[in-house]
Order: sequence, then C-alpha cells, then structure tokens
Amino acid sequence: MMWVIIALVFWLAAWAVNVALARSRYHDTKLVRLIVPLLFGATLLVLWEGLVRGFSVSPVILPAPSVVAQTFANSTDILWVDFTQTVLKGAVSGYAIGCLSAFIAAIAIDRSAFLTRGLLPIGNFVAALPIVGIAPILVSWFGFDWHSKAAVVVVMVFFPMLVNTVQGLRETDQMQRDLMHTYAAGYVTTLTKLRLPAAMPFVFNGLKIAATLALIGAIVAEYFGSPTRGMGFRISTGVGSLSIDLVWAEIFVAALAGSGFYGAVALIERAVTFWHPSQRGRA
Amino acid sequence: MKNLTYSIGFAAAAFWGGMAQAADDVTLQLKWVTQAQFAGYYVALDQGFYEEEGLNVTIKPGGPDIAPAQVIAGGGADVVLDWMPSALASREKGLPLVNIAQPFKSSGMMLTCRKDAGVASPEDFAGKTLGVWFFGNEYPFLSWMSQLGLSTDGGEDGVTVLKQGFNVDPILQGQAACVSTMTYNEYWQIIDAGLSPDDLVVFKYEDQGVATLEDGMYVLEQNLEDPAFVDKMTRFVRASMKGWKWAEENPDDAALIVLDNDETGAQTEKHQKRMMGEIAKLTAGSNGALDPADFERTVQSLLAGGSDPVITDHPGEAAWTHKITDAALN
Repeated sequence: MMWVIIALVFWLAAWAVNVALARSRYHDTKLVRLIVPLLFGATLLVLWEGLVRGFSVSPVILPAPSVVAQTFANSTDILWVDFTQTVLKGAVSGYAIGCLSAFIAAIAIDRSAFLTRGLLPIGNFVAALPIVGIAPILVSWFGFDWHSKAAVVVVMVFFPMLVNTVQGLRETDQMQRDLMHTYAAGYVTTLTKLRLPAAMPFVFNGLKIAATLALIGAIVAEYFGSPTRGMGFRISTGVGSLSIDLVWAEIFVAALAGSGFYGAVALIERAVTFWHPSQRGRA
Repeated sequence: MKNLTYSIGFAAAAFWGGMAQAADDVTLQLKWVTQAQFAGYYVALDQGFYEEEGLNVTIKPGGPDIAPAQVIAGGGADVVLDWMPSALASREKGLPLVNIAQPFKSSGMMLTCRKDAGVASPEDFAGKTLGVWFFGNEYPFLSWMSQLGLSTDGGEDGVTVLKQGFNVDPILQGQAACVSTMTYNEYWQIIDAGLSPDDLVVFKYEDQGVATLEDGMYVLEQNLEDPAFVDKMTRFVRASMKGWKWAEENPDDAALIVLDNDETGAQTEKHQKRMMGEIAKLTAGSNGALDPADFERTVQSLLAGGSDPVITDHPGEAAWTHKITDAALN
C-alpha cells in the first residue's frame, strides 16, 4: 500500500508544480516549456511503478517500468539485432523505395491525364487493402527475411506519398505558371524552379505520414512469418513465452525509433521549406 | 405495495432456490482453436458429464495470439491446457503452474521434411531452413536441436529457423526444408495440399527420444490450497476423463460434437474425423494421471540444452500433483 500512496502523492505534487509553472510569469520561457511535459511523463512512470508494486500485479501481466528498464539494459544485444532487422533493413529500405517511386509516379501522373485517370484509382485501391491481408501474400512472394517486410512498407507508404505529391504539384496557380511561360521556361525548368518547391510542404507532409506508417508496417509484417529476429517477431512471440518485460522494451525501442524517424524528417522539412508560413518565426 | 412485497418475496425465493442448486463455474482455456484435439472436453460438455458432477463449464477456444499461461495469470480461466515445456518455462518466470492431470500420454509433434530437400536423417539438418512455431511452442524444438548440437543461428553448421505461421505454406513453397507438424493436424494439411507421404520424411519427437508432454491441465499453485477449488477440479478431471474415454470409443460421434461446438465453422467433417482418430492414439494409455517417469523425461530433455537450456533448474515435484487425479479416478 505504501507504494500506491507514494505514487499518488507524487502525482498530486507534480500536478501542483505543473499548474504553478503554467500560471507563473515564466510560463513562456524555454525551460518551463521543457519541464512541464517531462514532469508529466515522469508522473505517468511513477504512477505505473507505484500501482504495479502496490497492488503486486503479476509481472506476466504488466511489468513495472523499472523492470522494463533493467531488461532493456540487459538485452541491448537482442534489441540491437531486432532494430537492425526491422528498422534499418525493413522499414528504411521500404520507406526509401516506396516514397521515391511514389514521387516519380506523382510527377508522371501530373504530366499525363491518362495516368491520372488510370493510376490514381489503382493507388487508392492498393491503399484500401488491409495490411493483414497483403502481408502473408507478400511474405510468400518475397520470402521470410526483411525483403517481404520492405515490400509491405512500400505498399503502405506509396499511396499517402502519391496523393500528397500530386496535390502539391497542383499548388501553383495559372498566373505563376504564365509568368514562367513569359520567361520562356520549358516544362523541366517550370517543374524544378517553380512547381516542385511549391509542392515541398505537401511532399514533406506525405513523408512524415509515411515515416510512422513504415515502422508499423515493418513490425506488423513480421507477425506473418519471419526469421528469429526482428521487433515484430519478438513482440508477437514474447507474450507466448511470458517475456512481457522484453516486449515492453521492444515497444520502447519502437517508440524511440518512430519519434526519431519522424523528428529527422521534420528537421529536414524545416531546412527545405524555411520560406513556408508554417516554418517562419521558428528559430 | 402488496405487489412489490410479493415480487421481492418471489425474487428472494428464486435467488435462494438458485443458490441451492447452483453449479460450480469452471472456465477452461484451450491451447488452440476448437478442434478434435480437445474432443474429450467437448464430449463431456455435450454428454452432460460435467452437469452430472455439478459443474457449469465454459470452454474458451484458444488461437494463435492466446497464451494459456497469460490467461490464467490474468484470472481469465480456472484451468488451462498447455504443453509442459511452456508451462515449466512459465513456472521459471514466476508463474507457478501445476500439472493436475495429463490426458495425453504421447506427443503428437513431429518435423516433416521434403525428401527432395535432401533430408534423410537428423544429421542432414545442418545448413537447412526449418520451420518452427513460436509463442511457447518452440521449446521442444530448441531442446532437440541443442541435443543434436546444432546452433539455431543459421550458417553451415547450424540450422536457419524461420518463424512458421500456423500453417504449412513454407514447405509447400520450398522456403523451408522441414516444417513443424502435429500428427493429427498439419501433417494432413500437407497431404491435402497434394504432397504424398512418399515425398515426405517425418521425424516424430516421440521416436527421437525428445518427446515432451502436451496438453496437460494446469492450475495456479496457490489455488490448490483451497479445498473447495480442489474438490471442483477433482470433479472436473473425473468428468473430462470420462469424456476422453467416450471420445476414444466413439471417434466419429466425438468429431461431430466438436464440429457442433466450432463457432467459427472453419473445421470440416473429414478433417475432424481423421484428427479424432489420430488424437485417440495419443490419449490411449493415459487414465489422466501424470506418469512421474514421463515428467522426469520431459524435464531432462528441457534441461539438457547445452549452453541454452529451456529451463535452468529442475522444477521439482512441486510442478505436478497427484492430489486431484488420485481423488478423481479412485
């Protein structure tokens, strides 16, 4: 019971501190803006730890965060092997192939009305396919290793990337294109100097959506046959062998990898589309 | 007002009456989906054997994402069916499962290989890809490989393990030289898919001396201190074993009872009748009581894991009990 009380007291104290910080005149400083979410996250962990210990929840149902942290530290070798297999091989390669091909397809679609009518509906159709349906099929086509996971990722990221890029390419208005025309700019020049830069906010929107989808796709695809490594493999089999602490460690890695991936794309976006209103005013 | 008094009176009487003959609730968590592998329990339910013992039994089907050990840990079942390697591994992880009855005498697990993949004996496994089920079913395989001295990390001297879904696709498509099968289920899926028994080599775990006990009944150790629970389990085991013996004697009827209970409608009559015939071979020779020699053999097989044993300590006799079967069967 001691643990529950400590956790609840910490919760109330952290709450009070956060409220005080938010109301203080320093609420807009960088430091406070960093402390508030950190304190909130810490509160969640302390509550979790306290409730699990206080009510002696079985570790095969929910391990305490301290147990997960310990498992994490003890199994960095396994976690690294899984990270390499799923994120570096499966997700990143699938992401690169999927986004690049969608980008090229979008330019082709933009160029030709025939493709707009033909290819877009197919992209739409593929996007509607459930991942649990296509994953086993792709596994039987491309084998059990990371290639089939990359293929699943390609299918998942292709459509959001395609739609966003096509939309982005339509961003420029007639006046702007007419101006390029008066400069005697051809299609390629108009594309590279005017239309692609204008499309960049949309392209990055697609890239950011695809970044989180890629990780999900690579992990879920491993549920349908995989070698004996990979984050999806570990998560799907860990429950059966009651290694729930390891499953949580994998989830933590997945969360880190997902945020890191998204953050990296967002940073590149900030550098590329510095001129866009949404990016202006950010230091 | 008078009406209300009557209603309360009737409700109370009904409640009292209900209490007097209330059957004890028992929830059984199966290891896998509804199929003839669990015929004994469905027969006992269908033929009223549980009712005769004053039990109200709920049978929960399992599936590829249901771990019986986790269900019982979460309070979702009173008794679960599990394989002994998985149960003992759970026990080492801090979930005190105890075997109270063992209706399966023999193991139905085997490795089925294609002859054209160049496998004739266990010596040929090196350098091959083998399909294995995970989710707690990998332990017998890992234990066998370590006894053969084969690493499971791939390479020339080891075997490459692929996580096999719960089907036989990898062997049909040639992605694996061998896949895990049960004598009563997946083996026949391979045959139905068009391969003939002449194309295949099978290694039964039973023949290789690495058989482990499958489908035993497990409960949580602390529950066994409660006499009411022990009494309930005694009646449950007695009725279940009656169901098993009935199923062995009437395999075709048992298969039909299983089909009636299959809510998914995924099973076919032909497959279930064949499965029941194979299951009867595995339950034959067991009266439900665990043979300590079988337990010891399973434990030794799991301990003999070289550098990577499935369990590290002998679980001792606390991992099983004859308390229930002695009371139920005598």
